[in-house]
Amino acid sequence: MRNQEGSSVKEEFLRKWIRGLRRYSCEKKNMSFLERKKAIKLSADLAMASTRDKTIRWSQALIANAASENVCIGSSSAPKKSSRKKKMMLMRRSRARVKSVKKEMSSARCIAKRLMEKRTRKLKNLLPGGESMEDGCLVEETLDYIQSLRDQIEVMRSLLTASQLIINPS
Amino acid sequence: MLHCVNMTVLERQQARTRKCHQQDQDQDQDYQRSSLFDVFSSSITMDGYDDSSLHMPVMPPPAPAPSSSSALSRTTTSIAPRVASSLASPTLGKKRKPLTQKVVAGGGGGGEQQSENIKKDKKVKVSGGEEESSKMSEQTNKEEVASAENSKGSSEAQNHKPDYIHVRARRGQATDSHSLAERVRREKISERMKYLQDLVPGCNKITGKAGMLDEIINYVQSLQRQVEFLSMKLAAVNPRLDLNIDDLFAKEVFPACAPNFQSIGMASSSEMSNNPAAAAAYLDFSSVQQLVSCSNGLINNIGMSMNPSPDMGIRKTIAPPLSVSLPETFLDSSSCFTQALPPSIWEGEFQIQNLYNVAFDQPIRTSSFPPSHPFTGLVEASNLKMEMEMEM
Repeated sequence: MRNQEGSSVKEEFLRKWIRGLRRYSCEKKNMSFLERKKAIKLSADLAMASTRDKTIRWSQALIANAASENVCIGSSSAPKKSSRKKKMMLMRRSRARVKSVKKEMSSARCIAKRLMEKRTRKLKNLLPGGESMEDGCLVEETLDYIQSLRDQIEVMRSLLTASQLIINPS
Repeated sequence: MLHCVNMTVLERQQARTRKCHQQDQDQDQDYQRSSLFDVFSSSITMDGYDDSSLHMPVMPPPAPAPSSSSALSRTTTSIAPRVASSLASPTLGKKRKPLTQKVVAGGGGGGEQQSENIKKDKKVKVSGGEEESSKMSEQTNKEEVASAENSKGSSEAQNHKPDYIHVRARRGQATDSHSLAERVRREKISERMKYLQDLVPGCNKITGKAGMLDEIINYVQSLQRQVEFLSMKLAAVNPRLDLNIDDLFAKEVFPACAPNFQSIGMASSSEMSNNPAAAAAYLDFSSVQQLVSCSNGLINNIGMSMNPSPDMGIRKTIAPPLSVSLPETFLDSSSCFTQALPPSIWEGEFQIQNLYNVAFDQPIRTSSFPPSHPFTGLVEASNLKMEMEMEM
């Protein structure tokens, strides 16, 4: 699907990523290790997402999430943690409720159905913006996401080896 | 018109069913009538038939089957178990799934349609003493009546509304719009899952959506973890997030290394396997100044790094084992440097500086090199020269 434009996508991704990183380095001079890591990862993710066009949902969702959360690399993560905890509690409660209901249904078909639902839910959680997708769309988006991730990893790895070479000549 | 058409199909169905089945024929006919309706609705010949047969939900018991249709039924029976297993959807399969176990195991392949038809047949045949199947047969009767009407409606709809996606209900399958849409959706999903099978490594042997989904989830998680890990490593390597050095290299390097991206992950290889023209296109002349500082280091690094792969030999041994002749050639043909591989790094006035560095480092580096390298380097350097000339 995307094989022909593979290299151009990687180039685009790399350029955007480096642009983003440069902006980070300009804004904040001395960043801690974690801050740097977050900056790198975020700019990489955003760059990858921006290479996909508007019709791809996960990329738009990723960008929207980053924009809405107003991710500050150096800010404290305390408010995030509290919201995360609340989310976890809610999830646990809903899951418990679901489990109690589902214990009544025990036929093979229901078990299979439940397994599938569990897995699709897991996949939806993995995919940015995946919660609002139905099955067909979900599979498509996953395909695209996997391809983008692979490109991203390749470029990052090459950059890593390049920078390692520069710094450690031996 | 349509009525006549339907009549024809129904008549055909009736004739076939009469020939086909010998046990519990009425219900069989019902199923087959609705199922065959759509299959044959396109290939219709005009015959005169009475209206009454169309609306009769239950057919009179048919005559014993002749050989051809019995063959048909035989083939259809054999298909059932195979296709039954592949039908994973819970929605449509509600009535069929429990019966798949009862289907007689057989060989052969065939259409999904026929298998579903046979499922209905089997349902009927088994229903002799069992409550469940009798209930089901009732349900399927109703379903079949409804589907007969719906199929009529759907065929009309297909004729009158060309904007819609036309889905032909297959033989033996329910024909209401919901199930049609369901089927389309399911087929789409299974097609995408096939793509995913190619993409995700190790999915070739796994059949079934659940296992595939598991693999996909694991793969996506591992990819995300890799991204995290790589970003962590990058953060560790760059104390100041200062990628000005690398990025310019990257700009000129990565765009052109498309063929090598897949094969080799080493940055040095990708850098050196530039397509010269592309490299020139990407090179930002204004930023050449910054290139100097890193280029020296990088050239030496590349020269030093020992990579076993053969196609890297040329690239690797450019810097240190370079004989004096090579820098001279670079100096001579300055115009072609922008198009050649290593000269892409050595732009304009920086050539000289780099050459100095190279020359300076040369005695140091060559000593540390295994004896074979200088020779290979010279040979390969000359090859490189030829490459450059050819590319000019």
